[in-house]
Amino acid sequence: MQVVGLTTPQEVFVASKERKFRINEILVIDDPHQGSLIGEVVEANSYNRFIPLSINHDFVDARVLESLERLGYSISEDEINIAKVKLRNEASFPVTTGAKVHLPEFWEVRDLLVRSDPEGGLALGEIKNTEETASTMDENLKELFYVYSKGEKRKTKNVPFLLDLKSFQQYPHIGIFGGSGSGKSYGLRVIMEELMLKEIPAIILDPHYEMDFSIREEDLEWSPDFTGSFKKFQVGEDIGVEFPSLGRQDLLDLLSAVKPLTEAMSSAVQMLHRRGDTYRSFSLRLQLLTEALELGRSRIEKILQQDLEPEEREKYKKMKELLEEYPNIPLQSVQGIAWRLWRLDASGLFNYNIKPVKEALLSGKLAVIQGPIWLLQVFSTYLLSNLYRTRRDYKDGELRGESRGEYFPPFVIATDEAHNFAPKGYDAPSKGIITEIAQEGRKYGVFLVLATQRPTLLDETVTAQLNTKIIFRTVRGHDIATITEETDIGAEEARRLPYLPSGDAFVSSPLFGRTVAIRVRLPYTKSPHTLNPFDEIRHHRKRAEERLLSLLEPHLPIYETNLLKVLQALNAEAPDMNLEVRTLKESLENLVRSGKLQKTETPFGAMYHS
Amino acid sequence: MLELNEGLKNEFRRTAGALKKRFEQRPDRARIRAYINESSLGRFVKSRKMSDNELERLMEKGGVAGVDGSTNSTGGMFPYVITLQQAMAKCTVAQEEIYFYDVLCPLFIGEDLNEAEYQQLVKSNLAVLEAQAAISAVKKYRPAVMLIDGSLVRLKIEAKELWESLKAEVLKAGTLLVGVVEGISTRIISSALKDAIPDAVSGACDWELLLGVLDVGEGLEVTPGCFKEGFRTVFMRTSFDPKPIGIDLLEEQYENLELVENLIFTLTPEGSRGIPLWLDLIDKKVKISDATMEGLLKAYLGKEYAEFLTPKRAKRSP
Repeated sequence: MQVVGLTTPQEVFVASKERKFRINEILVIDDPHQGSLIGEVVEANSYNRFIPLSINHDFVDARVLESLERLGYSISEDEINIAKVKLRNEASFPVTTGAKVHLPEFWEVRDLLVRSDPEGGLALGEIKNTEETASTMDENLKELFYVYSKGEKRKTKNVPFLLDLKSFQQYPHIGIFGGSGSGKSYGLRVIMEELMLKEIPAIILDPHYEMDFSIREEDLEWSPDFTGSFKKFQVGEDIGVEFPSLGRQDLLDLLSAVKPLTEAMSSAVQMLHRRGDTYRSFSLRLQLLTEALELGRSRIEKILQQDLEPEEREKYKKMKELLEEYPNIPLQSVQGIAWRLWRLDASGLFNYNIKPVKEALLSGKLAVIQGPIWLLQVFSTYLLSNLYRTRRDYKDGELRGESRGEYFPPFVIATDEAHNFAPKGYDAPSKGIITEIAQEGRKYGVFLVLATQRPTLLDETVTAQLNTKIIFRTVRGHDIATITEETDIGAEEARRLPYLPSGDAFVSSPLFGRTVAIRVRLPYTKSPHTLNPFDEIRHHRKRAEERLLSLLEPHLPIYETNLLKVLQALNAEAPDMNLEVRTLKESLENLVRSGKLQKTETPFGAMYHS
Repeated sequence: MLELNEGLKNEFRRTAGALKKRFEQRPDRARIRAYINESSLGRFVKSRKMSDNELERLMEKGGVAGVDGSTNSTGGMFPYVITLQQAMAKCTVAQEEIYFYDVLCPLFIGEDLNEAEYQQLVKSNLAVLEAQAAISAVKKYRPAVMLIDGSLVRLKIEAKELWESLKAEVLKAGTLLVGVVEGISTRIISSALKDAIPDAVSGACDWELLLGVLDVGEGLEVTPGCFKEGFRTVFMRTSFDPKPIGIDLLEEQYENLELVENLIFTLTPEGSRGIPLWLDLIDKKVKISDATMEGLLKAYLGKEYAEFLTPKRAKRSP
């Protein structure tokens, strides 16, 4: 390998007759005047000097080349490989043409590739095309995990990409960008697994119900057991909001998450909600006010003049007071608020609190928060503010030398579909807290991992704070433009973004000072719903058919004339199937069609038998 | 055009007119085919592309070798000239390339050589180098077929002694020796059909008469006796290019004519100028470029002495 052609201090061409180059490979140039220069392959080409694209401006037909091969000539014999190499650091003057080039030993490029050790870093994947260099790597860095490549699960042969935990203090937040099917979810899963392995407290918002770590990937020699390292919480079933601890703004956010509030409703909430309200006291107030507004002041007064049970009297007195206290609130607004509140309550939100989440974090676990996205949006606002405040209070107390606060650990917050939680251009309940953590979280050791398929839709203040970005395949021009703007990704890499294979990504991190091409490691666990929906239909159909067949078996042969009796028996055994004569007959016909049963015509009508 | 001398323009117009008239009177495709069919000049044959099996069999028999040569000279005034020559042979079955080369300079040849004689020497020396390369390749690889860039007759004339041993070697080894002629300069047809063809094209070169007359893959096998003794020749259109190429074969090996025709047709890209790709590849490898010449001059003679070999012309401003 040697440097050829015109060189610049930034870029050179390297040619080799024997070796094909691969993009992102690191090469060392032995410049006779400047010493060793390190560069990365940004473009790889091969061509055959003697088989030009055209002879007399016409393509050489493939048939002729094939004939030559049949005659024993190997086309590759005359092939030359050329790589465009971008220097890691600008040279003082143009590289000497003819300078020898070699593949680096690990020690020559260690600082460029590995900025941590397996104990102190998150092993996210392998650095692409580093096999040769990896062979001279320290033993403790070799074969750290599995990768999936060309349909095979195997131990990595490349240099591992380790994201140093200690660097989080300096570069706290991670962005994960990529279209659907790009491997983004795998990336998120791998980060979560790594956090669990390192026992770092973390929360992940999981609107897709996919963050379960108990199903292990098959055919791996070894995989860790995560069942004790994470806890799943369903909003409204395991965890919820303590109504009394809600601030007025929290309540407004919650209500408007169900359906946006009108101006009048917002001011009504502000008037009606009182500090220390429980769900009961607040909803009762709404209920009474509604009734009062429906009756009207004069009718209430009239009722009060009548003879009433003491309880009843109390109620109407209260109604009258409310009317006097809130003379300007329209009925419609109160009804609107009541309806929203009722919906929130129906989700179970107010029956629980967030204590279990805090406990999970305190024991160094990953808390998976699941729920429909609208509920997650509201709930996360409450949850994240609460947790962040707890951590901040503890840390501030510590700084002030007051050790009275209860310990609360630093933690990581992760979410997919981050553009829903901190959208650009409009307000969302959770946007405030996420922006705050993005800007100040570093001080308190609260870190964000935000994944989205639409970086363009993510709030810019937040995007700007994501120091480490992991970028998977991205096809939309808009998003590519955003990515190029927000990262140190170069024009060459940006051009490759739409073609990245699933699971391959570029990592742009100030820690590495360059874009690193990685292949994300194979997660140790699988998402619970990796079943293809069409397979699911097929499975379901097959299961239903098998079940019916096993139920029918004792009744065989079945005569058409006797269907009703069979039907009664079946319905007694399996009431959930809700069979009718018509549907049973259809099912029998289907079984005949699929060859599971036979149908014979007899003098007594059709007979179904095996 | 405005600056062009009026007399010169008229002179050119007259010549161009005469040429045009000649081409107009050229018999059409059907007529020429008829003339040839009526005479005993030769017969039209159709070639085909060879199958993979046939090609593999050829490879087992030693594959196809090719030989080509190249000459380049510094552009100075005679005798302040250096001429570089090399010939190369390469066989499809081997990676090795066989080179023979020579550097000539009239100042050191001793004899009192004039320019024309020097040119003749250069020409025959190249033929010698090519013959050497060919002999060496036959001895080393015993290829099934050996393609020579240029006619066999040229080798026989320019490198008489080596020609005999080359011929002996190929006959011994069973190698089919084939000359592939890009620029046909023979006049076999016009001399054989002297009485039949119009006066305007009497003495026309074979390629002129055959231009566009042959179909792709079609050849005209010239009857023995109409061509130089000891050789067989075929004019063949091997690609879409309407100009035919010439294929020479030894009289001793004439029964393999069909195989050779098919092979050359197979190895020629349809869109090319009609030369087998194998010879094109060798041509590219053997060629001594002007850049190489210049590099060598600078490296070994130095800039100050290179002046002796640079013509005044080269300093003309464009």
